[in-house]
Amino acid sequence: MEKSRREFLKDVGKLTAGAVTAVAVKPAVAGPQRHGGDAKHRWAMALDLRKCIGCQACTVSCSMENQPPIGQFRTIVSQYEVKNVDKPGKPVDFFMLPRLCNHCDNPPCIPVCPVQATYQQEDGVVLINNEICVGCGYCVQACPYDARFINEETQTADKCTFCYHRVSVGLLPACVESCVGGARVFGDVRNPNSEISKLLDEFDVKVLRPEMNTHPHNFYIGMDGRFEGKVQGEPPVWDIRNAAGKELEEL
Amino acid sequence: MNPNIIETINITRQAAWLPWAVQYFFLIGISVTAVFLTLPAFLGGNAKYEKIGRLALLTAVSCAIAAMIALVADLHQPGRFWHFYTHFTSWSWMSRGAFLLPFFLVLVVIYAWLVYRADLGRLARQPGTMLAPLYKALALGDKPERWMVRPVAFLTLLSACSIALYTGMEVMVVKARPLWHTPFLPWMYLFTGLVGATGVCLLLNRVIGGNDRGVERGLNRFLLIALGLLMVNGVLWLASGLSGVSAPAHRALLSMSGNVQWLTVAVWAGLSAIVLFVIAWLKPEGTGVITGLIAVHSAWMFRWTVFINGQMLPKMGSGLYPYHFPVGPEGLLGIIGTFGLWVLIIAALTAFLPWDGRVEASGAASH
Repeated sequence: MEKSRREFLKDVGKLTAGAVTAVAVKPAVAGPQRHGGDAKHRWAMALDLRKCIGCQACTVSCSMENQPPIGQFRTIVSQYEVKNVDKPGKPVDFFMLPRLCNHCDNPPCIPVCPVQATYQQEDGVVLINNEICVGCGYCVQACPYDARFINEETQTADKCTFCYHRVSVGLLPACVESCVGGARVFGDVRNPNSEISKLLDEFDVKVLRPEMNTHPHNFYIGMDGRFEGKVQGEPPVWDIRNAAGKELEEL
Repeated sequence: MNPNIIETINITRQAAWLPWAVQYFFLIGISVTAVFLTLPAFLGGNAKYEKIGRLALLTAVSCAIAAMIALVADLHQPGRFWHFYTHFTSWSWMSRGAFLLPFFLVLVVIYAWLVYRADLGRLARQPGTMLAPLYKALALGDKPERWMVRPVAFLTLLSACSIALYTGMEVMVVKARPLWHTPFLPWMYLFTGLVGATGVCLLLNRVIGGNDRGVERGLNRFLLIALGLLMVNGVLWLASGLSGVSAPAHRALLSMSGNVQWLTVAVWAGLSAIVLFVIAWLKPEGTGVITGLIAVHSAWMFRWTVFINGQMLPKMGSGLYPYHFPVGPEGLLGIIGTFGLWVLIIAALTAFLPWDGRVEASGAASH
């Protein structure tokens, strides 16, 4: 009797230890898990602003490739006219800033999705399963880069996929393929011999809005600090008609 | 704004949360806080507040039903709403809300039913009532006990708190929008909700509640408390931004500074609150319609400003995104439609249910 009780207590002890280990091994707080893709790679893009001429070939080729509705874009080159304050006589400079989804390592769009339609692959690419997406727009709000939008045709969330359908068969994203100045360089940052890895080693690259701790994977070469975050400049002209609906003659 | 930088080419992003979201947050905020207004009567058992309690209960039920419709309509794929229930996502506040919300709706309906139950029984016994069999079935028994009201009122209170928490957190966690990413916002929702719910009760008191002066005075007095809380919270929010204590509030102010539209909204909101406070304080009787309308308008305007104007602030670009108010279902029609639906629900509920508990007087002959 005495022995069996001792054995019983021993078993209880083992069981408790086992349970504690099981709990400890499991992550304490559940969160989105990466799935799909190959963890051998980590796809990323380098954007050499010194080479970008703002021709919008990337914008056009992206639209040809991915067919977003007219007026909606997965990538765009924002352009800024910058007065040269130090040299008043000098003509203004132009600053070209290609924008697209940053495929962040800590993407704020994913944990908000209420149906896990948007997810990150093992290779870092952030995708949307638009057959699950309910079009709630929560990820659009959460993205600090305004990279997402609700596609007017599919009525679901949409954004740059790094042209995953091309990358997965060994092709380059459409925007990279068409970039005339070679400003966009796409590749695997886990491969030390890739062109992008070499660029990241060579240059002091910057990312957009580093203070958001999203760890973006679009790396800019030749970035000016004034354009890293929300640009405090004069807004663009959105309307070419006045309040009465008449077309403005001169912009 | 830096005059040395001019943005020449960029794209706009359209608002992903439509006016339907404004309607949802408006109606659910009022429903949740109307539950609080029912508590003195039905949880505290204070008969003095019975009339206010019944007006508030009607408000809570009607707004909760209308809110659900607005919420589903805000999805761009409303037919896929069931995905919320097949893809539960414990870490997303919206997913949590999808599970908390039906509980709230069911509890509010049960709560109202328990309050009306005895009267439903009396209605069934009234001579010449065509719907007598229906009322009898609804009353579920001849001698309904009222003791169940109190525990259910308490459960509904807990559920209402869960809705206030989820709706507040859902917006507050959006770090990318400095206007939303602040702990002041959930409290703003709660207090503007209280103001709005009191306003709806004041209007209902005038339209269907027999314009009871005692109720009007009580609600106007309550409005003072709600407004006081709202103004303190609003001033603290503003101060935290101006002083730079709160970085998001500071960034939010920075992105609006120098913009006439935002300045107008701020002055408008401030003036509305002050005018409302002064009327409710100096003349709490005979002003129910005015204070009610201003209160409802304030609660609605706050949500419109936070959601629609908030989405016009670009996260990367300069200035503001243009917003063209659509007249179709995604804009004006949706707003009118939601309010129409709410009026219809109120009409249906008050036509068939003994919501004001006045059955005994008219049906006295049967006893």
